[in-house]
Amino acid sequence: MLSFLSRRLGGMALTMFAVSLLVFLVLEVNIDDVAAKVLGQFSTADQRHAWLLQNGYFDPLPLRYARWLWGFVTGHWGVSTYYHADVRDLIAPRLLATGLLMISTLAVMIPIALTLGVLAGMRQGSKLDRGVSILAIVTTSVPEFASAVFLSAIFVFWLGWLPGVSTLAGGVTLNELALPVAVLTLSSAGYIARMTRASMVEVMGSPYVRTALLKGASLSRIIFGHALRNALGAPVTVIMLQIPWLLSGVIVVEVFFAYPGFGTLLYQASINSDIYLIEACAMIGVVAVVVSQLLSDVINTWLNPRLSLALTKAAPPAGASAG
Amino acid sequence: MWGLRTLGGGRLHPAVGELAEQFRAGEIDRRSFLRTLSWLGVALPSAGGLVGLSSCAPAKAVSAQKRLRFVCAVQQITDPALTTWIEASNLFRNSLEFLTEVDADNITHPYLAESWSPSDDLKTWRFNLRKDVTWSNGDAFNVDDVAFNFRRWLTPNSQSVNRTSFAAITDFERIDDHAFALHLSRPVCSLPEQLYAFTCPILNRRFEQEGGDWPKTPVGTGPFALTQFEVGRAAKFRRRDTYWGPKPLVEEIDYIDLGPDIATHVAALAAGQVDILYRVNISELDLVKRIPHARLLSTQAAQTLVMRMQSDKAPFNDIRVRQAVVNAADNAQMLKFAYRGMGVVGENMHVAPSQPDYAPLPPRPRDIAKSKRLLAEAGHPNGIDLTLTLGNTQGRWEQDTAQVLQQNCAEAGIRLKLNVMPPAEYWSIWDKTPFGLTYWSHRPLGVMLYDIAYRSGSAWNESKFADPEFDRALDDAMAILDPKKRSVAMLNAETILRDQAVIVQPYWPEKFTAVSDRVIGHRVHPSDFFRMDRVGLA
Repeated sequence: MLSFLSRRLGGMALTMFAVSLLVFLVLEVNIDDVAAKVLGQFSTADQRHAWLLQNGYFDPLPLRYARWLWGFVTGHWGVSTYYHADVRDLIAPRLLATGLLMISTLAVMIPIALTLGVLAGMRQGSKLDRGVSILAIVTTSVPEFASAVFLSAIFVFWLGWLPGVSTLAGGVTLNELALPVAVLTLSSAGYIARMTRASMVEVMGSPYVRTALLKGASLSRIIFGHALRNALGAPVTVIMLQIPWLLSGVIVVEVFFAYPGFGTLLYQASINSDIYLIEACAMIGVVAVVVSQLLSDVINTWLNPRLSLALTKAAPPAGASAG
Repeated sequence: MWGLRTLGGGRLHPAVGELAEQFRAGEIDRRSFLRTLSWLGVALPSAGGLVGLSSCAPAKAVSAQKRLRFVCAVQQITDPALTTWIEASNLFRNSLEFLTEVDADNITHPYLAESWSPSDDLKTWRFNLRKDVTWSNGDAFNVDDVAFNFRRWLTPNSQSVNRTSFAAITDFERIDDHAFALHLSRPVCSLPEQLYAFTCPILNRRFEQEGGDWPKTPVGTGPFALTQFEVGRAAKFRRRDTYWGPKPLVEEIDYIDLGPDIATHVAALAAGQVDILYRVNISELDLVKRIPHARLLSTQAAQTLVMRMQSDKAPFNDIRVRQAVVNAADNAQMLKFAYRGMGVVGENMHVAPSQPDYAPLPPRPRDIAKSKRLLAEAGHPNGIDLTLTLGNTQGRWEQDTAQVLQQNCAEAGIRLKLNVMPPAEYWSIWDKTPFGLTYWSHRPLGVMLYDIAYRSGSAWNESKFADPEFDRALDDAMAILDPKKRSVAMLNAETILRDQAVIVQPYWPEKFTAVSDRVIGHRVHPSDFFRMDRVGLA
């Protein structure tokens, strides 16, 4: 387990290093551009030159990169050119808000998706299975911007039940969370339900479930005692993959509902060419992806002890069968 | 004379008599008459008998609701004189005041200056300031504050657009604590109106000493005080009890930045989360009309899109290429398809029929054959590849307009590529890109716009247009008080600009916004300059 973790952490560090290099090369190589973005359109060529000199932008590229990376690691993320505030101070509350949205979405989405997936997968081909599959395909294939407009048209413009924007200006309210959570749940619950269903179908057809059935075990005992745990591997991976998506991929939903989260911040940073903020957001996005991947691996290992055995000894042979 | 008197009680300007005669003879309209009188420092209530001004209707009952919520971009403000965003000016307009005020009908009124009077030759202007004004930091407002502002606007290294707007001012003369005179190198008739430009708020004389960052030291003479300012999020203002003028109708104003998507703003209005929207675009009109408790407000302003070609950059340094583009453009079609026909067709010379100095030019119909011929003469017999850069700074209709132009140009063999970038990106290159689409907000007079956008070397001259003959024609027009004679002088300037073909200026779109039906006293201002102390909630 220790070597698995150290290998994983090494991989994480390498990924982050590669992405940091990319971010640096994309945003910091053209130094005239950096000066123009930081000092604004009214700055003169002399002012830009003086600023670049003062901030070491004429040093060799590797040295600049090393300094930039060290600054990032030690928490010196610079000042946002659009918000005129320390990038760290900007990001913290936005991460918190997106974290809240993420937890609320997961809290709604996971029970719905798993329940639907398990119910559908229990009896392959049943009416329930077909119904869930159709619902899942329809909701997954509707993009967030369309479902946001659709739900807004019903609950804001037509019925007038819910607020049109979720600025959280008066504090967190369930009313304001309802629509963003509903849109995010609609777009990803179907996918997870489908994954759970497929996994469940596979497990329900496996020899040990058949044996349990033949031995006269009840369906509930088979599902809760044997099948469910084995069927959760794939959905857990998919759920963990939703975390980086919920952090940075929810831009559409956050912007649509004016939700003050990380996605809106990244969007504003991009459209305003807020260079230091884009850099920090990109790096945080990478951290989120690799950390959630690590978590996903750890949880999968816990759910499936064969994986940890394989990891501590050798890779499992291809096509190793379950049971 | 017809009961007219000046704001300061002094002698009437000699031109007043002639203007009144013209108005009585029906040669100039009521609005032009009142507007010109206001420049000359005539007290407008004294003109009531002549033009039939009625007293204001009594205001509706104002409710106990004390907080007004306004959807508006909250942009960075540092030095208000360097502001390039009107939205930002609408925030500091609550705390900072101007020497004059121009209302939604383009009539100039006293503000921090209680009266003014020009010399007969319009080259010396005397202003008298109010004596009862105090700053929010306790300072008494006086001529030193005004002198401080003029000095920093006009200093040779000033980056404010005011340096160009007031280039004619040669001297600021302090007369006493509450009076000053401006000496000009050439006559400028509309000086009082120009003092309400959004870059002309009067800052406290210690603004620079205190760091030159207004939101950090938000000292002002206005009806509200800034209490919170977060770029991209929100700004809050609270009523000042020591304000010199009438008490504002609301206690607090919350400006809420809901991002650039106007459909989101409309959703907030539908849900009753906000009271006033800054702007509604053509694409949201139908949505607003379906909200039962919302009112749609509209006006025809001299705002427009300009697709300008920089005359000093290839291939646009060849006038034939520019003329080919202008000849290919179908302005009426752009209005019809990109803006649902809700506006007035433009004439590629950037003066609107609604502006008093507008002089109609003979129509110049679209001519594809001529366009092709000009291209061939310019050495492009097989057509030409051009790139138009735009940023949808006001909404998607900018791109829709550009796409119609793209189709128009294709007919003449001009292969137009559209380079669409984010709004903020566009504003960093708006005056640098060779061929760009820029939104120009309303200016009360055509001469004001010509002065900042087309005069040789002016600060916002994005087309790099430089023509001494045009500059002379503009000088002539700016010196003429008589609206009739001014529009004749403008004919020259307009003709030169259109003939030089630096712009395709397709149409004058109507301006829309929406408010909750509880809002009273809010009018669409053609320049988007909103005074919130007169707005309340029913």
